[in-house]
Amino acid sequence: NETFVLHAKGQFLYADRPVPKLPSPRHVLIRVMATGLCGSDVRMSSYWQHGQIGQFVVRQPLVLGHESAGEVVDIGSGVTTVQRGDRVALEPGVPCQTCDYCRGGRYNLCAFMQFAATPPYDGTLSTYYTLPEDFCFILPPHISIEEGALVEPLSIAVHSVKLAGVTTGQSILVFGAGPIGLLCCAVAKALGASTVLLVDIEQSRLTFAHRYAATGTYRMEDKSLEENAVSIMANFRLSEGADVVIDATGAESCISCGVHALRRGGTFVQTGLGASNIVFPVGQICSKEGTYKGSFRYGPGNYKMAIELLNSKKVSVKELITHTHEFFRAEEAFEGVSRRQGIKSIIYGPGVQNVFVASSDTPTGNSIAKI
Amino acid sequence: MAEIESSSNLSFILNKPFDVKFEQRPKPTLQSPRDVLVAINYTGICGSDVHYWVEGRIGDFIVENPMVLGHESSGTVVSVGSEVKSLKPGDRVAVEPGKPCRYCTPCLSGHYNLCNDMRFAATPPYDGTLTGFWASPDDFCYKLPEHVSLQEGALVEPLAVAVHIVKQAEIQPGQSVVVMGAGPVGLLCCAVAKAFGASKVVSVDIQPSRLEFAASFAATHTFTPERVKAEENAARLLKETGIEGGADAVIDASGAEPSIQTSIHVVRRGGVYVQGGMGKPDITFPIMALCTKEVTCKGSFRYGSGDYKLAVEFISDGKVDVKRLITGTVKFEDAEEAFKDVKAGKGIKVLIAGPNEKSCRCIGGH
Repeated sequence: NETFVLHAKGQFLYADRPVPKLPSPRHVLIRVMATGLCGSDVRMSSYWQHGQIGQFVVRQPLVLGHESAGEVVDIGSGVTTVQRGDRVALEPGVPCQTCDYCRGGRYNLCAFMQFAATPPYDGTLSTYYTLPEDFCFILPPHISIEEGALVEPLSIAVHSVKLAGVTTGQSILVFGAGPIGLLCCAVAKALGASTVLLVDIEQSRLTFAHRYAATGTYRMEDKSLEENAVSIMANFRLSEGADVVIDATGAESCISCGVHALRRGGTFVQTGLGASNIVFPVGQICSKEGTYKGSFRYGPGNYKMAIELLNSKKVSVKELITHTHEFFRAEEAFEGVSRRQGIKSIIYGPGVQNVFVASSDTPTGNSIAKI
Repeated sequence: MAEIESSSNLSFILNKPFDVKFEQRPKPTLQSPRDVLVAINYTGICGSDVHYWVEGRIGDFIVENPMVLGHESSGTVVSVGSEVKSLKPGDRVAVEPGKPCRYCTPCLSGHYNLCNDMRFAATPPYDGTLTGFWASPDDFCYKLPEHVSLQEGALVEPLAVAVHIVKQAEIQPGQSVVVMGAGPVGLLCCAVAKAFGASKVVSVDIQPSRLEFAASFAATHTFTPERVKAEENAARLLKETGIEGGADAVIDASGAEPSIQTSIHVVRRGGVYVQGGMGKPDITFPIMALCTKEVTCKGSFRYGSGDYKLAVEFISDGKVDVKRLITGTVKFEDAEEAFKDVKAGKGIKVLIAGPNEKSCRCIGGH
């Protein structure tokens, strides 16, 4: 059970750990085949550089990774919904299921959540991983294992877009053309939004976004945030402002601009995490009677909807996979992502062959990832 | 009981900061068969009135022409349009002083407080209610029960603000609520939260006298923050009040930056935070806490459908004793004194009698 382990001060080592035993009859054992890297894995100078993310301090070696897909290799005696050989997406957070939050339908807020790669719980960058069966989601046949690794960020987008209450005919403004922002656009479109706008500072990202899921894009200009908001509203004929704003950057300037571009009575969902404290236009939220919601991971039904969006081809994630790496070259993936290279980088499980054809324009990638 | 004796339309007008005058204005006429004409009996003053008097503006709303102040009023119906069925001359009413267009998207979808063309009393350029007579659509005047005084009627407006805020906070029976700020709106939010079934209502303020009053009025607990980090104040508040895991709802009725920051650390995971108070338009905000706790932050702006009605009911059945907030009543010609007193932080709610108000009793006072 080869694992990719973060040690103190950003040092990565490979270690052969014992193969995990099934903790309960309802658990399954998965051979992890593909793992995506996310901003929180790298960007916030978190685990890698400083060994800390927010209040979670890396006190002992930690296995990273949480955006994974793999193949079921063993099942507990009580498992009925999956079988050996099934290809599954992993929902990598197991809540306690007994507290008020869990029982009340908001298990993402469980105080006893065991989430992959959040200390002290190991992540999925290993050969094997265990999960209860209800946290494994069978992939549609036409979805490759690499795309399966994107079900996690897609579920984040589903959660945020659902919190925003997007429905047919609405206008949605998304800040940040990274994977989450792009996926939020795709989900919003799939749920019926008629105007889906993406804002970023990089033109190349915006050009891709326009091909991928946005109906319009806007590049932030060198003027005040309110002026940018006015331009956005004018360019896209949102005379009242956007029905929904989603911020997938965590950046103060984007959040401020977004609040100014929100219509009266509109909903703003905060998905991206950045600084702990920012300057925030609370007066606007008050006088517009806006609703500003924090969004944290995903909850009941989100993975299911993500799978269905892929199954029905309402959303495609192939296009977002720009880089793949072998397991024993995983550190390159971290380096690449920290340099903001590409959109989504995938690390294969140990021994999984790299055959995915990652194409940027017209993806024809037909993965036959093999062990 | 006070009566309307004459037809004076003397009005209290703001020219520019600290420059006010009294002037007779033409008596308003009924614009539609569904309008009523109300003689104003009492008007309360709120922070926003004082703000216009001091600064001449609030945000983008600038007093460019002389404007009549006041918006928290009660009155007596003197005449009704030909199609009015709900009111008759002599009825005593609480006045809802904002006239929406009724046709825009917000109006049609049940959010008339967000009307694109709202004409709100004493928000430039529209005149307010510190005047003799006020013309109003009939559905924006609410009949007061016999046992509710006209002075209490002038408190319906701020109580409706509190009702709207508490509804935004989605407060349910058995929940815990923390209210930042023990001014009139904060106090009324405590009372309404209690009326909505909250079992713990914590009033927070830096002034001990206000907290003392809050405890006697509606709060189950009080808390005095210190000049420490927001997280520290929050932790101590939760410990002292026995609210484990965070409050279900937190209402800010202060607009003050430290209070808003503390609020996000006080509210529980998945809880609701309502921004009712208006202060600095931009503040430093603990966004990561809001995000990882998946807090819902909602603005609250004035009041909408059903809020005035519920406010009148709360006064009528004794659930909210607004009388206790009235600390003084002055004659119309002493209006400027009332503004000075409010600015100096004296008392809780000061009422100004209308220019036609015959007798004027101070029913509050501490």
